Amino acid sequence: MTASVFAVPVFFVVFRETIETVIVVSVLLAFLKQTLDGPQRDVKTYKKLVKQVWLGAILGLLICLIVGAGIIAVFYTKGRDAWTHTEYYWEGSFALVAAIIIGILGAALLRVSKLQDKWRVKLALALESQPVTSSGKRGAFKRFCEKYCMFFVPFITVVREGLEAIVFIAGVSFSSPATAVPLAVVVGLIAGCAIGYILYKGGASSKLQIFLVVSTCLLYLVAAGLFSRSVWYFEAQDWNNAVGSDAAELGAGAGSYDIDRSVWHVNFGNPELNGGGGWGIFNAILGWTNSATYGSVISYNLYWLCVILGFLAMRYKEVKGHWPLRKAKEEKDALSSGSPSLAGSGVFEKQHEEKKTVEAVTTVPARTISE
Amino acid sequence: MAISLSFFPIISTLLLVLSKVTEAANGTVVYDFNIGWVTSNPDGAFERTTIGINGEWPLPIIRATVGDQVIVNVKNDLGNQTTTLHFHGLFMNGTTEMDGPAQVSQCGIPPGSSFTYNFTVNQPGTYWYHSHDKGQYPDGLRAPLIITDPDFPYADQMDEEIVLSLSDWYHDQMQVWIPKFINKANPTGAEPVPQAALMNDTQNLTVPVQPGKTYLFRVVNIGAFAGQYLWFEGHNMTIVEVDGVYTDPAEAELIYIAAAQRYSFMVTTKNETSVNYAIVSSMDTSLFDTIPDGLNWNVTGWLVYNDTKDKPEPALVDEFDDFDDFTLTPYDKMALLPEPDQVVSLDVIMDNLGNGKPYAFFGNVTYVSQKVPTLYTVMSTGENASNPTVYGEFSHPFVLEHNQIVEIVVNNLDTGKHPFHLHGHNFQAIARSDEDAGVFDSTNSTQTTYPAIPMRRDTFVLKPAGYIVLRFQADNPGVWLFHCHIEWHVDQGLIATMVEAPLELQKTLTIPQNHFDACAAGGVPYTGNAAGNTVDVLDLSGANVAPKPLPAGFTPRGIVAMTFSALAALLGLATIVWYGLADMGAATMRSEEKRIAAMNHETTDITPVGGSVNSESDEARRR
Repeated sequence: MTASVFAVPVFFVVFRETIETVIVVSVLLAFLKQTLDGPQRDVKTYKKLVKQVWLGAILGLLICLIVGAGIIAVFYTKGRDAWTHTEYYWEGSFALVAAIIIGILGAALLRVSKLQDKWRVKLALALESQPVTSSGKRGAFKRFCEKYCMFFVPFITVVREGLEAIVFIAGVSFSSPATAVPLAVVVGLIAGCAIGYILYKGGASSKLQIFLVVSTCLLYLVAAGLFSRSVWYFEAQDWNNAVGSDAAELGAGAGSYDIDRSVWHVNFGNPELNGGGGWGIFNAILGWTNSATYGSVISYNLYWLCVILGFLAMRYKEVKGHWPLRKAKEEKDALSSGSPSLAGSGVFEKQHEEKKTVEAVTTVPARTISE
Repeated sequence: MAISLSFFPIISTLLLVLSKVTEAANGTVVYDFNIGWVTSNPDGAFERTTIGINGEWPLPIIRATVGDQVIVNVKNDLGNQTTTLHFHGLFMNGTTEMDGPAQVSQCGIPPGSSFTYNFTVNQPGTYWYHSHDKGQYPDGLRAPLIITDPDFPYADQMDEEIVLSLSDWYHDQMQVWIPKFINKANPTGAEPVPQAALMNDTQNLTVPVQPGKTYLFRVVNIGAFAGQYLWFEGHNMTIVEVDGVYTDPAEAELIYIAAAQRYSFMVTTKNETSVNYAIVSSMDTSLFDTIPDGLNWNVTGWLVYNDTKDKPEPALVDEFDDFDDFTLTPYDKMALLPEPDQVVSLDVIMDNLGNGKPYAFFGNVTYVSQKVPTLYTVMSTGENASNPTVYGEFSHPFVLEHNQIVEIVVNNLDTGKHPFHLHGHNFQAIARSDEDAGVFDSTNSTQTTYPAIPMRRDTFVLKPAGYIVLRFQADNPGVWLFHCHIEWHVDQGLIATMVEAPLELQKTLTIPQNHFDACAAGGVPYTGNAAGNTVDVLDLSGANVAPKPLPAGFTPRGIVAMTFSALAALLGLATIVWYGLADMGAATMRSEEKRIAAMNHETTDITPVGGSVNSESDEARRR
């Protein structure tokens, strides 16, 4: 039977987690390729940042393999799944961090599309070489995060998705023939990576601005879903604690959710059950859930609201030279004040170089489209 | 510790004296019961607050002889709970108002009030009495009730009688358990698992026996939940009575006694006294969703032939091969009742309602107590009493005509066992499927080949995902509940109400004033339809109803939320696209110009184009 060779739920879980990861990784890689790899580009920095991305992904994989091995060891020795008692706290935390980082990074990426090519390279380089100093601990921490965001984003994404997949596979292989697992895992990985590669190829060869707009949209869809799900996970853990078992084991029907928090609940399309099938992928990309709570719906909308307001504010600043609701300072100051960077405006805007006299003013293209 | 002999005649007599029993010459037995809280610790593991009678627990056995009038004067001294007494298995023919279920045939007796039960017993055998209010009896208010029969058919085969009660035991009160059990955080409706099993309300019971004698054991499962497997090591049982119905003698090694069931069987002792034998009662763990660590689901007692000898630990049993009560033949050989005039078909379903809590249903109705006790509605609605509407949808009423033959078909759509009990009658158990047999099909002749002399009893086990078919004649006007005798399921609403010959009742019945007084004292209405409406009894507005069902799929709320979310996402995406495709903006362009100028200056100043890493770090360091 196919069931003993190919565990469909395992495939879907691996596929889903892989897709989520590769979207992030391939968008980053494609971005770097477009920005830094080409004529008059800095190969050294490009390679360095690409290395960061891969390092993040690989280290994340390594960590989740180690932790996963630990979990499985506990799982088999203690005979019960220690992870599942707090599983959703972990998932919720990872999802929250990922949503915030992707939110900031996305704005930064998009902003880059407007900068002139030369300047883009410069910024990347500057970021690369910036010493970790400056104003206070918070500044240092911020700088640190900014500098290594190419590392952290894939790292956190991989850890989260990887752990989830491992725990699920451990659970499945506990109850179904272990022979059904490997093929499903491999096929899931291949399918996910293939999609990632297509995304990367498509991204790397299309016009930078279009690519950035499209990929940012995709990133924000994922991030809004992650944000919503992080709230959902916390609530689900709360419910599991109340019920005293993994409520997901109750299936999709009554009792698998807290009726008092429910906004809608349909008994199909549970993304947490047996990998969720197509719904799981729907969940990974759009944050679908069959059991929406007030928390998850409000947080989803709130996330988009923040994104919209953030971009409006950025646009406002681009046109007016200062943040909304702030006094327009003297132009010079406004630009040199190192204004607190809102989501995304920060990463590539670091310089305080305006002290110098403006000499030759070259023409700045109103917008930059990569060649 | 072990209270040996607690139900032996002498001590029983003593207990009877203690509970102020007076047996008048005319065959009247009077009990004065002050029901109040006491503490007890029958399993030696936990001292708990328990409901006692006249300050004592275990409770006295009620004893009477066939034909006696029994009067039980109840005074509720609980202080914080109403109570009632139900005399399980007694037909109460002509006295349905004495049957006991709160809000069915009486109002719960409020704290401080008194209430008199007055009835005549015409049935011999083994019964029990217990509270029928608020799931209360597992708090201790339950004990055997024995009706002695001067014409007992096996009298010449037995020497002595021994009453044996079996029970599960909880350490917390029902009013603590029920809110935890019927709770949205218990969506599967997992019933609380008992903390212990008891035998005659104790453990390690010793039953002194003499060699070469025949004892009649009257066994009652007075538990709340667990069925009990019972066996006597080294001895067989000869069953002669179930639930007050004498049977042809049937040999058994091991019997299964569901909650509320009774068996009488004869055990003949051995002729030598060198060894004592274990009596084991083992709770049916298949009913438990989990088996907590440390739970001992067995309770052991001993047939003690010789006090100086060991009381051996019972041997382990691999498998319970229990006696099938369906195979019993009633001693009176009452033939199969004719084809029914009315069939009541009930599907057992466990499900959750809109508040997320687990309930039990017959079909799509879960029982909810009505504002006016159903019997009082019968008495105060005139001609409309034969219209089920007046009893309220959620009392799940079935109006039966006088003397018609009624068939109850129960299909178990649940995966648990359910011991079903009918008040006011014995029923003929004419069919019982195996587990997983599915739903009864009355057109399938293999399912409708009934025994010519079916066994009768008042509590009958329905197997998981199977069915049972029961028949009885509606010859006992009254209001009778049909319910699962697992007390948790009663709390969840697995109850239907049989309103039998209501117009007949109106003609013959008078409710004693002190019953109405109990209602008045508790502020419970006692006239009108289920909603307490005395003007238009067909207007049930205000009647007690079950919570609404769970919403199916997308409600308007969900659609609004989904729409908003989709809209928010689309707006967000539009903003991203708009921002991403927009020009650089005047301010940024100006600053950009400056930056590039500065950069050009810088790069030409320090290093050639391309060798930027060093220059940048230099610059950074400079700052």
